[in-house]
Formats: sequence, structure tokens, C-alpha cells
Amino acid sequence: MTTRTGAARYFDGLTSARHDVTLELASHALVIRDGDGAILDQWSYDRLKHLSAPDHIFRIGLRKNPVLARLEITDMDFAHEIDLLAPDIDRTGASARKIRRRAIGWAFAAAIAMVLSAIYGVPLLADRLAPVVPRGFEQRIGAATNAQVRAMLDKGPPGRPFECGEAAIERAGLVAFRKLARQLEAAANLGTPLHISVVRRAEPNAFALPGGYIYVFQGLIDKAETPDELAAVIAHEIGHVAHRDGMRAVLQGAGLSFLFGMMLGDFVGGGAVVLAARTILESAYSRNVENAADRFGVQVMLALGADARALGRFLQRISGDEASTFSILLDHPTARERAAAINAIAPPQSRGVTLLDPGEWAALKRVCAGYRT
Amino acid sequence: MASFDAGGLTAAPGPVDRHMSAVRFLGQDRPYWHILVRGAVLLMVTLGIYRFWLITDTRRFLWANTEIGGESLEYSGTALEILLGFLVAIALLVPLYIFFFLGALDVGTAGPTTTLAVIALAAIGQYAVWRARSYRLTRTVFRGLHFHQTGSGLHYAVCVLFWWAMMAVTLGLAYPFAQASLERFKLAHTHYGDLPGRFEGSGWQLFLRGLPLWFAVMAPTLIALSALLAVDWVLIGRILQSGGNTSDILARIGQQAPEFYGAIGLFVLAFGFALLAALALFPAFQTIVMRWWVSGIRFADVSVTSRLRMFDVYKAYLGFVALLLVFALTMIVIAFIAFAIIGLLFGTAEQSKFAELFTILAMVGLYVVSALGLSTIYQATAKLSVWRLTAQSSALSDAAILEHVKAAGEPGSPLGEGLADALNVGGL
Repeated sequence: MTTRTGAARYFDGLTSARHDVTLELASHALVIRDGDGAILDQWSYDRLKHLSAPDHIFRIGLRKNPVLARLEITDMDFAHEIDLLAPDIDRTGASARKIRRRAIGWAFAAAIAMVLSAIYGVPLLADRLAPVVPRGFEQRIGAATNAQVRAMLDKGPPGRPFECGEAAIERAGLVAFRKLARQLEAAANLGTPLHISVVRRAEPNAFALPGGYIYVFQGLIDKAETPDELAAVIAHEIGHVAHRDGMRAVLQGAGLSFLFGMMLGDFVGGGAVVLAARTILESAYSRNVENAADRFGVQVMLALGADARALGRFLQRISGDEASTFSILLDHPTARERAAAINAIAPPQSRGVTLLDPGEWAALKRVCAGYRT
Repeated sequence: MASFDAGGLTAAPGPVDRHMSAVRFLGQDRPYWHILVRGAVLLMVTLGIYRFWLITDTRRFLWANTEIGGESLEYSGTALEILLGFLVAIALLVPLYIFFFLGALDVGTAGPTTTLAVIALAAIGQYAVWRARSYRLTRTVFRGLHFHQTGSGLHYAVCVLFWWAMMAVTLGLAYPFAQASLERFKLAHTHYGDLPGRFEGSGWQLFLRGLPLWFAVMAPTLIALSALLAVDWVLIGRILQSGGNTSDILARIGQQAPEFYGAIGLFVLAFGFALLAALALFPAFQTIVMRWWVSGIRFADVSVTSRLRMFDVYKAYLGFVALLLVFALTMIVIAFIAFAIIGLLFGTAEQSKFAELFTILAMVGLYVVSALGLSTIYQATAKLSVWRLTAQSSALSDAAILEHVKAAGEPGSPLGEGLADALNVGGL
């Protein structure tokens, strides 16, 4: 039997000393001999592994060896013969590529799973969790969010109270507003107290926070032509409270932050993807939520015998040129879509119920009149 | 083999007569480009999960092609290892995140607790940096032995936070001393087998070399800030609050506070200059720090000297900028074509959900491709060149000691690397 031999550099992994050795391709193992022919070590072929090295060096070690012994071969023909004998060594890189392809496949599957859980899993989880969150906990989140939102909103010049209804000429308006709110609250019958207030902000807007905090902006009252229009918006916001949408948004935000912020890591451009994904997903979640709140508002208005179609009309009037922006980024469906949906479930007002008499409505319109800019 | 022909180092001052060993870098640009471009594409497809493989590939390439005294380094870490480390780190961080989430609910907005939480997170981040360094060192094999790191990561994190505070207070003047102190700490805990490392670079040396750069950037910044201080902001505030349309307000500012426009102009000019200076001087800064750092490294009696030339580093960055311009132009053309196609296919007159969806997808896609492209070009040009130049310009004296080192130290856990990744403080 002829055994092939070749030269190599050997590091025994115990010291950094370099040994110039002769390798012998015996039938059972790779035999490492020093210059005098003494056997330094024997490496069995099935434990050999190929290690990272510059192109001109073939570097091998032993699998599962705590000692980092290395052999370095520069004669590539000889390296090829070792390659043929060792089952785990593949210098063409074909098996490494196969393993890599499998890894990429799994990574791709994991990415798909993440996207799917963001689109379906997170809202589903938030839907299930929001109703079972204890009221006391939601109240605390509400109080914290409320403090945060108040700190963020621009309260105008110092000395001017942010909430309307405190100045002498505003008091009658506040009484009328409370009457309206009381009727809506009674019709909604939520079982938890609401904190509805009017604040000095020029935008025609209103929003609800977790814990029953509802803010109605001065701009909305200015734009409202009838008590029913204002009432319909408040009824819609009460719908958010009833459905615990604020709580759900908090849970969804936390879920998405975790999913994308933490798992996606800091690869370049990731930040923008996270932001875009969050914006689109949160808008999508919230469009469904808005439709549900609209339906709730309609039920409240119908229970009061008020004009349930007022919301759709009012929305269309104040939204005006909204259609020019990207609708998939809007967190509300377009006013036209919402009005159509509302009209589909709300019959036109038949009884002439009035929530406020003309005097009260006139007073309410002036609930922020004490501090005009 | 450990000896070499001194080549360009014959003019080296000081230890040239001692036994010198060269550091070489053998890597070519092409295979590195291949790793990075493939990595960028796969990062996109896998939403970043491929980063564990990409970082392993780049390290293998850079390590294997760096040769010290005729022996190349080897990176023995695997992608699976850091992926598992990352998953464990996530599992450890989840309770922490929940704790912060609930804590934030109780205290509302900015309070002392929030500040403490930010500091705690920063400390954990630096602890992770320390542990990640430990992992990289133990996965760095040279002549059959690995490096390792001792010392406490917590101690390191406290030191880093202290020096960050000092740098903020001194407007960056403490940077050289921070670097010197932290490098001393790092290298004192770094070992090659049983050979202890240490760092001998002095903060003052770096301070004196960097001072002109600091002035070049800080002087215009200070001018810009003082220009703003000269403005009577109370008066401007009153004019803005008095209402009226924009041109009215501008006219009134011109009448009542004539110095305002001059001050704003000076601010823009000085600040723009500071920004340009910072960009233009960055390669110089990097050269100075790198040369200082490499020349301060010691392992027992082995010392390293660097003769990195600023001119070469500038050339490397010019190459980066040139390629970047070509890339930017290409991206603009592609963006133009993409939006033109969307416009033609869906029209702009009518509100179409598809047009919107495709526009947003195209915008996000272009952004991601641009960001990944920028990073890839940077790594394949400037970063690789600086690595190569740094290696080629370094030399070791008394490297014969490196031939008689004994193995020591346990392999480090990949958890540190995973933690660093989860906290977004990872690095090469």
C-alpha cells in the first residue's frame, strides 16, 4: 500500500509554537510526524473540519475539540487528497452552500411569520386582551396617557385656561354641554364614569383615551350647526371607550414595537421599514375600529331618538379636501365612506327629539367665548 | 518566516533595529463585494434576520486575510451561535421591557424614573458591548490559540457612562482621555493565550494631535450659537404672537429687530461651515485616532507601531464618495422611472388604492435599497480600505515572543453578542 505524504504547518493548540511537519495519509487516519519522524498526533478523517483561511492556505482542525489544534497546507493537490478522504470536508463549498441555503430559507420563513403575526396576530391578540384588562389597570393607563397628552398639546398663551367653561360668560355653555354629555352617557350606559371636556384648540376634532377621557376641541363646536352633530361625534368617541379601543391601541403599539423594534435589529434602513409598517398597519387596524365606533354612535343616537345621520353629514362637511392625501395612511376611513355606512344602518330621523333647546345650544356655542384670540 | 524584509519600514524611527514583523492584508475587493452585496439582498428578503450570517462572513473574510508575522488570523465564530445568543438575549430582555412599560405607565412622562431607566438601558448596552468583545476575542484564533478577555462588564459600563458624561460637559475635549482610559481598561483585560495585553497610548498625545480638528469644528459651531444668543428672543416671541399674516410678521421683525436676519444668516453660514469641516476632517480624525490606538497596543514585550498615512485614508474616502455619487445618480434615475411607470399604469387623476399602495411600496423599497446600498458601498470601499491600510502600515517588534505563548482562557459565550444586537449596539 502506498501512502501519500505531504508537508504542513502544525499548531498543537497548547502553545503558539509552529511545527513544520510531514502528513501521512494512512488508511485509518491522518498521521502527523515531526522532522524526526516521531508521531505527534493522529487525526481520524471523519473528525476533520475545514476552517476559514486565506485562499492560498488549506486549514483544517478537529470537530468537537476543545484544543484549537490546526494544520495548514499550502500544496493544493495534497489538500485535494485530504478532501477526498474526509467526509465532512468539501473544498468546493457545495455542502456549505447547501447549509447556507437552508438557513436562508428558515430566515425567510421567519420573516414571513413575523409579517403575518404583525398583520393578523397582533390585532387578534389585542382584541382578546383588551376586554380582559382589569378596569383599574386601564384607569391607570388612562391617567398616565391623559397626563402625557395634556403635556403634549399646546395650551396656548399662559394664563388662559386650557379647558373651556371656566370664565363667567362660558358657564352657561358648560352647563348645556354637561347636559348633552349626561344624556349621551346615560344612553350609552357603560358602567364606568366618563371624563368629557372641551378644550381650546382650533382644529375640528375630538378624541378618546383609555380610561374614559374624551376631549372635544373648540374648533369642532364652532363647526357644528346642530346639537345633534356635536352629540353624534361625542357618541362616536364614547363608542371608542365602550370598545376599549384606547387600551387596544396601547397593546397593539407595544406588540408592534416588540415585533419590529427588537426582532428586526439594526440593519440599515430597518428604522424606516419599521415606521412605514407601523403606520400602515396601525392605520389599517384603526379604520376597522372607527367603523365600529360609528356603529356604536348610531345606536346611542337612535336610543336618544336624535338624528343618527348627523355624524356622516358633519364629517363630510368638515373633512372637505381630505381626499387628496393617501387614504391607506389615514387612520379614519374617508368621510364619504363613513357617511354611506352610517346611512345604511340609520333611518332618517322621524321624531322631532331635541337634545338641547335653542337657548342652550346658543350658550354651548359660546362655551369657549371667554378667551378669543 | 517571522522575520521579513523591512520593505517600506526602513525609515521607521525607534525600534527599527529590533526584530520587526509585518502585518499584511491579503484580501481582494471582489470577494468582499460579493459577500456584502449578497448580504444586502438577503437582509432585505429576510427582514434583517440574515445579519447573523452576514456579520460572520465579513469577519471570516477580514480575519482570514489579515496576516501577522506570516500567520493569518482565523474567526471561528458561527452564525448559528450568535443567532442563539440573540434569542436568549431577547428572552432575558422581554421581562425588562415589560417592567419599563409598566413603570412608564405609573410615572407618566419624563421624571427621574425615566432618566434612571435610560441610564440603566445605556449601562446594559455597554455591558453587552463588553461581552460581545469577549465573544469576538475568544473566536479569534492565531497560531492555534485564541484570545480572551477577563474583567467585569459592569465595571466597564460604569466607566463608559462616566466618560460620556465628561465628554458632554467638556464639549468633546475629554474624548482623548476617555479613549485612553477605556482602551487601557480593555487591553489590560485582553490576553493572547497567557500573554497579557496592555495599552500605552497617552490621552495627552491624542489630545494635542486632535486639538486643531476640534477647533476647526467647534469654533464655527460656537460662532453659530453666539449668533443666536445675540437675538432678542423675547421681542421676536412678542412679534410672532401679535398675529397677522406671514409677510406682516416678517416686515415687523425687519423694523423692530433688524439684527435678526443677520444673526440667522450668520448662524446658517457658520453652522454649515462647521458641518462641512466635520465631514472633510473625518478621515484625518480617523487616521490620527487609528495611528494612536495601534501604536499603543502591547502584548507583554511585543509592541505595535503604525505608520498609517493620512493621504492614503483620504484617497480611500474619495473613492467612497465617487462611488456614492454614481450610486445616488442611479437611484434617482430608478426612482424617476419607477414613479413614471406607476403614474402611467394607474393614472393620477383618480384616487386608486393600487396606485397608493405601489407608490408607498416603491418609496419604502427605494429607501431601503438606498440605505443598504450606502452601507454596502461604505463597507466595501472606505471601511475595507482603512482596515487594509491600517494592517499594511502596522509592524510588530519582538514578535518572536508570539511563538512561545501557552493556551489560556475559556471560550466566551455568544450571549453578549446577542444582547448587543438586541439592544442595537452591535459592531464589527
